[in-house]
Formats: sequence, structure tokens, C-alpha cells
Amino acid sequence: MDYLIHIAIYFTIFSITGMSLNLIVGYTGLFSITHASFYGIGAYTTALLLTRLGAGFLMSVALGVLATFVAALLAGAILSRFSGDYFAIVSLGFSTIVFAVLLNWQDLTRGGQGIFGVPRPSLFGCRPASNPDFLMLSTAFFGAVFLICRFIVNSSFGRVLKAIREDEEAVRIFGYNTAYYKLAVFVTGSMMAAVAGSLYASYIGYIDPSVSGVNESVFMFVIIILGGLGSLCGPLLGALFLILLPEGLRYLGLPVIVSAKIQEFIYGTALTALMLCRPQGLAGKYKP
Amino acid sequence: MDTIIAGAIYTLIAIGFNLIYRVTKFFNIAHGVFIVLGGYTVLLLHNTLGLGLLPGVTAGVLLVGVAGMLADKAVFGVLRRKRAPGVIMLVASLGILWALQALIALVFGTGFRRLSGMGEIPETYEIFGAVVTEIQVAIMAAGISVTALLALIINKTRFGMAVKAIGDDEEVARIIGIDTDKIIGWVFFIGSAIAGLGGILIGFDVGLLPAMGMMLLLKGITASIIGGAGNIYGGALGAYLLGLVENTGAVAFSGGWRDASAFGLLIIFLLFRPRGILGT
Repeated sequence: MDYLIHIAIYFTIFSITGMSLNLIVGYTGLFSITHASFYGIGAYTTALLLTRLGAGFLMSVALGVLATFVAALLAGAILSRFSGDYFAIVSLGFSTIVFAVLLNWQDLTRGGQGIFGVPRPSLFGCRPASNPDFLMLSTAFFGAVFLICRFIVNSSFGRVLKAIREDEEAVRIFGYNTAYYKLAVFVTGSMMAAVAGSLYASYIGYIDPSVSGVNESVFMFVIIILGGLGSLCGPLLGALFLILLPEGLRYLGLPVIVSAKIQEFIYGTALTALMLCRPQGLAGKYKP
Repeated sequence: MDTIIAGAIYTLIAIGFNLIYRVTKFFNIAHGVFIVLGGYTVLLLHNTLGLGLLPGVTAGVLLVGVAGMLADKAVFGVLRRKRAPGVIMLVASLGILWALQALIALVFGTGFRRLSGMGEIPETYEIFGAVVTEIQVAIMAAGISVTALLALIINKTRFGMAVKAIGDDEEVARIIGIDTDKIIGWVFFIGSAIAGLGGILIGFDVGLLPAMGMMLLLKGITASIIGGAGNIYGGALGAYLLGLVENTGAVAFSGGWRDASAFGLLIIFLLFRPRGILGT
């Protein structure tokens, strides 16, 4: 049972990253390969506030989201001037900068050693949250993010995003400031990723700069491409698959490092195969 | 001196990347894994199986070229015929990078490997007061000669003219009777082979890691964008400029900021001069 709860918590965290990235990639057509940067910024801010200052959990998450808001605004101000493959490359470059900052700003982040002993929140009374408590908490966040995403994509704002995805030039001719819309959705999605990062840091209790690495960003990309671009439930499907695959591989009894590489091999092959046969992903509605 | 060596390495990555970009107009992320593949092929042929140095390196370069050509035939060519947009090609090439990188790690392990012996003290030379190793001389020579050779091929041969024609307009090139798929296949062969050579030289100089391809490729992309995407000389020029900025950044702050300063440069260029120095 504890095992299932662990899987369920992972599922909620991965789904939040997937749903938020889907807003950016699937609904707006911006191929952002830097999502883990904001996940990492959220995770680090929360972890630092919890361990260094002993701030409250919700307060730390809120400040993590705020820090990500600022970072995403800066990155987005540059990124929203690009589209297509240039957007992908610049975002990839940005993700290496964030990684370098987390790794090299030793005084603040302790560099490659990472941050240990990030506490769990104590929601009910004084005791730290147990796994079932934490599942309730992460499910609440998951539900909130799902509802916000649904609200966004069904709103008039969401319709403009989809129009930008189909033909940015035409939308601009109709008088919309597309750079503003691209920036807004980028920042919103990134803030949601920060929530997921904060949850992760508190649940696992340890983070290092690799949470914001390029590999993580690509991994999040695989979640939504596999699940399906531009659909609300696609990322959930992708997250489920990407959680169950390593668990399934575990039964083969391979060494951890080997099974990690086998996973990466499967992700890579799946990515290429999907691009060849079904670029919108399994349950996707948007075909780039 | 570090600047020139780094510049030569980035040249080898950037000019192959640039050549492929010129005819296909997409960012081939898989280029990164071909760098690594070159190094590990030589590790297998030369260090493990005991093939001589020259035949080993030659075979390594050719095999990576073939791998690049196969990637084009199996994936990019198919997508090209479907008229897939650049991002689809980019994501597909990202998948190839990930899959091959994982495969290399499965075969050779994730640890650090060197092509030259660990204990050997390399022969050194003195150039303008700076001490460089034998392999670093080879890197500088390769950087210059490969650029010159490629420029010669592109500017003076029928193949080069076909490459230029496809770069300008693939549709028209096909109409006037150029076998575009065949030419693009060879472009992938040449571009990947040069990347493989770069990886081999890196393997001899500093060593190999299966996961190093992405970072090296990003440097190559940065070099080619700041030099002028699709322009052969631009790739080389950008590479040396990148080497300079990076090493200045590393000296001014600390070694850890090397990569970050490279991408800072990329972003500055994309904002203020997106076509690069020599771009049109």
C-alpha cells in the first residue's frame, strides 16, 4: 500500500509538470526545453526556505513560485521573441545557464552536494506529514493545477494561444500582441512547474542541481509528447507511462544504472518513432 | 592558447552542423551524439581491439559518417518527404541523441574514458611561449585543414554546387535534376564524419563521457549561430570567438561559468544580430 501511495505521489508531481508544459508546448506551440529549470528554481527556493529559515511549508511554496515568476519573466522576455526551432534552441541554452547557477553558486545552493534534510510539511497538528497525508496534499495541488489548466484552455485567452500555435503571423495581423500572450503562458506554466518542484523537494527531502538539468527538461518533454500534445489528459497518460516503465524494468532485476540507461534508450527511441508516425503523441490533438 | 584549441574543437563541431543546417534547415541535435560516437568507436577499435592508430581513427571517422547517413535515410529523409516542420525534425534528432547516448553508456559504462594512456606523459611543444601537447597541435591542424578542405569542396566541385543549390531551394534543385536525397545523404556523411573526428581528438586530449555530446553540440550550435548559420567560414569564425569569450569568462569568474558565458553570448547574438557575423 505504501508503495502504491509512493507511485501516486510521483504521478501527481509528474502530472503537474506535464500539464504545465503542455500549456506551453501543446497549446501554444512553443517548444520549451527548459521546463526543469523552473521546476528546479521552485524546488531550491522552497528547500532553502524550509532548511535555512525554517519558514512554513505553504509560505515556502508560495515564495518558490514567486522566485520562479521573476526568473520565468526574465527568460520569457527573451524567449517570447522567438518561435519554432529557435525557441527550442534558446530555451535549451537557458536551461544550461540555470544549471550552472545552481551548481556554481556554492554559498547559496551548496553546489553539487545538494540540499539534505528538506522537511515534510506538518499540516495536521505537529507531526510531519506521513505518505498518505502527503498524497492528499499533492493531490490537492494536482487538482488545482488541472482546474486552472482547464480554465485557461477553455477561456478566450486559451483560444488566442491555440491560434498563435496554428498561425502566429495571422494572429498578429488581427492586432493581438502575440509576444505578450507567449510570455504570459510561459510564465504561468513555469510557475506551475515550480509547485511541482517544491512538492518534490519536500517529499524526497533531498535535491541537487541535476533536478534542473537538460536531461530532466527532455524527460518532461517526453511526458507530454508521449501522452499527447494539446489535450488535457494527454500529460496524465504520459506521466503514468513514464512512472510505470521504470517500475516494470525493476522486475527484471538489472543494476540501477543499467536500467536507467535502458529507460533513456526507450524514451529516445519512442521520441523519434512518435515524430515519424504520430507527432501529436498518443492522445494528442495538436500536430506540429 | 586555450582559446585557439577550444576554437578548433568547436570549429570541427560547428562546420559539420552548419553544413547539415545549410541543406536541411533544421537543428540536428543528433549531431552531438556523433561526436561522442567517434570517440568511442576509436576506443573500441584502437584501444580495445588493438587496431593501429591511423587505421583506427580512419575507420572511426568513416563509421560515424555512415551512421549519420543512416540517420538521414531512416529518420530525417522520411520526415523531409512528409514536409515535417523544423521542430519535429529537432525533436526526432533529440530522440536519436538520447537513444544512442544511452546505448553508448550501456556498452562502455558511464564513466570517464581516455583514448591516450592514463600514465603517459604526452610529448609537448612550445609555440609562442605556450606549451602544447602533441594532440593539441593535431587539433589545431585539424581545425584549419578541415575548414579549408570543406571550403574547397563546397566552392570548387559539382557536389559543392549541388549542396549550395539545395541550400537555396530544395524544390528547384530537384526540378533541375539534382538527386537531392543522395546529395543530402552525403552531406550527412561528411558533417557527421567531421563531428566524429572532433570527438576522437577530444578523446585523446581530455577524455570521453557518454553524456558529453549535448553540451558540445550546444557549443557547436552557438558557434554556428554567432558566426552565421549555414555559412562554413561563419562556423569557424564563431567557434574561435566562442572559445575566446568562454575562456575570458572562465578566467574572469571561475571555470564553472564557462558554459553559462557561452550561452549568454548566444542569447546576446540572437537578440541583436540573429543572422550572426557573416550571415546574410
